[in-house]
Amino acid sequence: MPKQLSVYHTRGLGVFLLVAVAIWLSGCHQNDPAQDKVIQTASTVDANGFKTYKHSMDGTPTTLDPAQAATVYTNTTILNIFDTLYSYKYLKRPYELKPNLAVAMPEVSDDGLTYTIRIKKGVHFHDSPAFPDGKGREVTAEDFVYSIKRHFDPKTRSQGAWLWSGKIVGLDAWKKAGSDYSQPVEGLKALDRYTIQITLKKPYPQLIYSLAMGFSAIVPKEAVDYFGKEFSIHPVGSGPFILKSFDTSRAILDKNPNFRQEPFDIYAEGYDEAKHGFTGIKALNGKSPPFVDRIIINYIHETAARWNSFTKGNEIQYTSVPKEQQNSVIASTDPLKLQPWIEKNFHHLFGMEAGFVYSGFNMADPTFGYSDDLTRNAMNKALRCAIRKAYNWDQRNKAFYFGLGTVFPGVITPAVPEFDPDMDKESITLDIEGAKKLLADAGWNADNLPVLEYHSTGGITYRQFFEQFRGFLKKIGYPVEKIKFAPYPTFGEFNKALKNRETPYFSLGWGLDYPDAENTLQLFYGPNESPGSNNFNYKNPEFDALFEQARIMQPGSERTKIYRQLNQMVVDDCVVISGLSRNRIYLWHKNVIMLPDREILGGFFMKYVDVK
Amino acid sequence: MDILKFALRKLIGGIPLILGVTFISFLLMVYFGPDKTYELLGKNPTAEEIAEVRHELGYDQPFFKRYAHYLKEMVTLDFGHSEATGEKVSSILKRTMPISLLVILPGFILGNVIAIILGLVAAWYRGTWVDKTIMVGSVIGMSISFLVVIIAFQILFSSSYGLGWFPVRGWEVHDIPSYLYYVTVPTLATIFVALGYNTRFYRAVLVEEMNKDHVRTARAFGASPQSIMIKGVLKNAMVPIITRIMFSIPLVVVSGSLLIESYFGIPGIGKVTFDAITGGDQPILKAIVGLTAALFVVVLIATDILYRVFDPRVELK
Repeated sequence: MPKQLSVYHTRGLGVFLLVAVAIWLSGCHQNDPAQDKVIQTASTVDANGFKTYKHSMDGTPTTLDPAQAATVYTNTTILNIFDTLYSYKYLKRPYELKPNLAVAMPEVSDDGLTYTIRIKKGVHFHDSPAFPDGKGREVTAEDFVYSIKRHFDPKTRSQGAWLWSGKIVGLDAWKKAGSDYSQPVEGLKALDRYTIQITLKKPYPQLIYSLAMGFSAIVPKEAVDYFGKEFSIHPVGSGPFILKSFDTSRAILDKNPNFRQEPFDIYAEGYDEAKHGFTGIKALNGKSPPFVDRIIINYIHETAARWNSFTKGNEIQYTSVPKEQQNSVIASTDPLKLQPWIEKNFHHLFGMEAGFVYSGFNMADPTFGYSDDLTRNAMNKALRCAIRKAYNWDQRNKAFYFGLGTVFPGVITPAVPEFDPDMDKESITLDIEGAKKLLADAGWNADNLPVLEYHSTGGITYRQFFEQFRGFLKKIGYPVEKIKFAPYPTFGEFNKALKNRETPYFSLGWGLDYPDAENTLQLFYGPNESPGSNNFNYKNPEFDALFEQARIMQPGSERTKIYRQLNQMVVDDCVVISGLSRNRIYLWHKNVIMLPDREILGGFFMKYVDVK
Repeated sequence: MDILKFALRKLIGGIPLILGVTFISFLLMVYFGPDKTYELLGKNPTAEEIAEVRHELGYDQPFFKRYAHYLKEMVTLDFGHSEATGEKVSSILKRTMPISLLVILPGFILGNVIAIILGLVAAWYRGTWVDKTIMVGSVIGMSISFLVVIIAFQILFSSSYGLGWFPVRGWEVHDIPSYLYYVTVPTLATIFVALGYNTRFYRAVLVEEMNKDHVRTARAFGASPQSIMIKGVLKNAMVPIITRIMFSIPLVVVSGSLLIESYFGIPGIGKVTFDAITGGDQPILKAIVGLTAALFVVVLIATDILYRVFDPRVELK
């Protein structure tokens, strides 16, 4: 028999192996910022000149039906398959609209109620078995009318009807009458084969933005009828790319060979040599997009896998920087400077999200919100304001966003033109003593302070948010045992609780649907109360009246003034603790010519991507 | 003929099991599963729109009517369309299950075969350094989280920080070499973890068998180690081994491996199942639960038959 090893040796072997693995694993990360590291990026142009761009996203779309295009993941994919009447200029910031399938910007009547839009002639849907001869037919104004009507057919399960509900003459009545497609809608007409007319009940300046959203993408009735529910995985549009395959891990889009020839005017798209010179986009001026033959959009939730795939050099060519990698990517945050190996190997973009994160109170809950008892009402307001004063945005920013977030007062985000950089910062300034005084003056003490339930999706990060928040409140004397975490297993369950007004205090994020402050101010509009988007159930007649006045006004200084007034009201009532816009770092291989953007339900940029 | 009769009798006997499993699962889905209503609604929905969506989802139907509908779906094998993607459930299963099988099977087979061999070696050399080394390896395999193993193997074999021999992620399989290219690292990770549990289990079973009188007799008779281990030990230990392997099959076939599929970007059934559970996609969940229950019944029958094959003393009653 072989000689036996002692238990000591056996354990020693085990420990040695574990230590060796641990050292190797940690070494992998230590090597990460190796300053001389060279990533061998493989060309994605094959011997025949076939060009492929490999994109990545941190989530997966469940559907590719424009009627359900509620997420950035769906929009990024479908905006390259379907046409919308308008789209955003590729490089221009702040965001600016331009005609896409429309010939020009809409002709709007003097009263702001009638929009006349002409669409381009000779544009065809992709070839599909849905068409009688398999050949895509020409896109007409009737297709747009059908595509909007679809949202008002209960069978469609639209998530975008809110954009036009109660706004277009006759559309809601059409739905009530049974959504019969053979029946016309007074305010939604095809005047001729190429002319659309939309008639509104009241001015709706945001209408034009809605016509650039994935929800308004133009679909052919034949394909919807032919594929039925499976239209969501067999999308047929007239956009620059045709869907080749789609599953939980990726979508493959092939170039539409019949896509209209429209030379790329970089200057009209907002090209600025100083800002965009490094991208190589200038070389594309005058050529007709799309420039690549295939786009592969990889849906990768797992940050480690995404990072490894990106740094491999021959897999995905674009990624946002995962939180765990920020240490190895960022050299300094103020000013932002990336590690030399990152600068050497990749192009990068530092971009602020067109949205924000915030926390808020459910005003319908008398614990912190409205009370019939006027004294308690005043006490609750003082309590909300004290909690806001205790909120340490700087610490939140450093702990969770590497200190790169932009903290701003109120709910008008820096991404919209109505943002006021000079607004009083009191609502985002830490003031422990002020908070304590507010509580004491209002009659609050450790004994009578109410239990604060922190409702949120479950998970480590959300738990960390909670613990940090509890730490903030401890500093103003809020008993920690009275601050409780109320997690939900999924966002869907949390959302359900929100809509059922079961969350006295909650934290959320909001991504802008369009670059107009109306999109965030409507979160406080009384008639939008739960189950609508006003999760705060904030009801302020003065706010509502001003909001109704402003929402029908055309953009301009007068409207901006009212928007800012509304913003101040929300701040003064201490309804929301806001806010922070996250800044993200995007990286892409140097053999890709592009300026990526995922904001405002993005995806338009992919049409202009080229590889070398 | 006996076997056929036995299988048929068992199959009929399995119906209550399927009914029980599906009933309890459906009860959990309906009363404790995620509610998709608000996920499918747009912003600012009216009460009427909420009711429309609930109606579309069938949430407004009485429980037993919904359960009866489920049973009908089970019989016709038509589970309708996914609530999330709109795709036919049967198409989803047809598309994803073969991929999951291709990914999981090599690891499953090798994980068991290698573990049996290691178990035999450890049992033969029990108490020696060989046995202890195998057991240390086994404990390491059991102790390290599957997730850590996946990430470590991905870095080691696939990333630019390691050897970079295999893809970090993807699944473009069209022939044997491309299959090996994509399946190797997931298989290695699966084997690494499977070996831990399997080797320990098989060693225990085999050691127990080695203490039996017939093994001592065979040794006294002068039979070769190979003959003793294969004919005297392994064959007699096949009942618990078969049980372990067979009962893993339904999970391998239906559930796939969420972590493997997510990290390696493989579009299999594991990811679909996970999304269905977290998203409350009842048509997919109903199909997977029903299929798993039915597979378990089939596996139970096959296991009993295999017992008989390996041990003629077992009667099929």
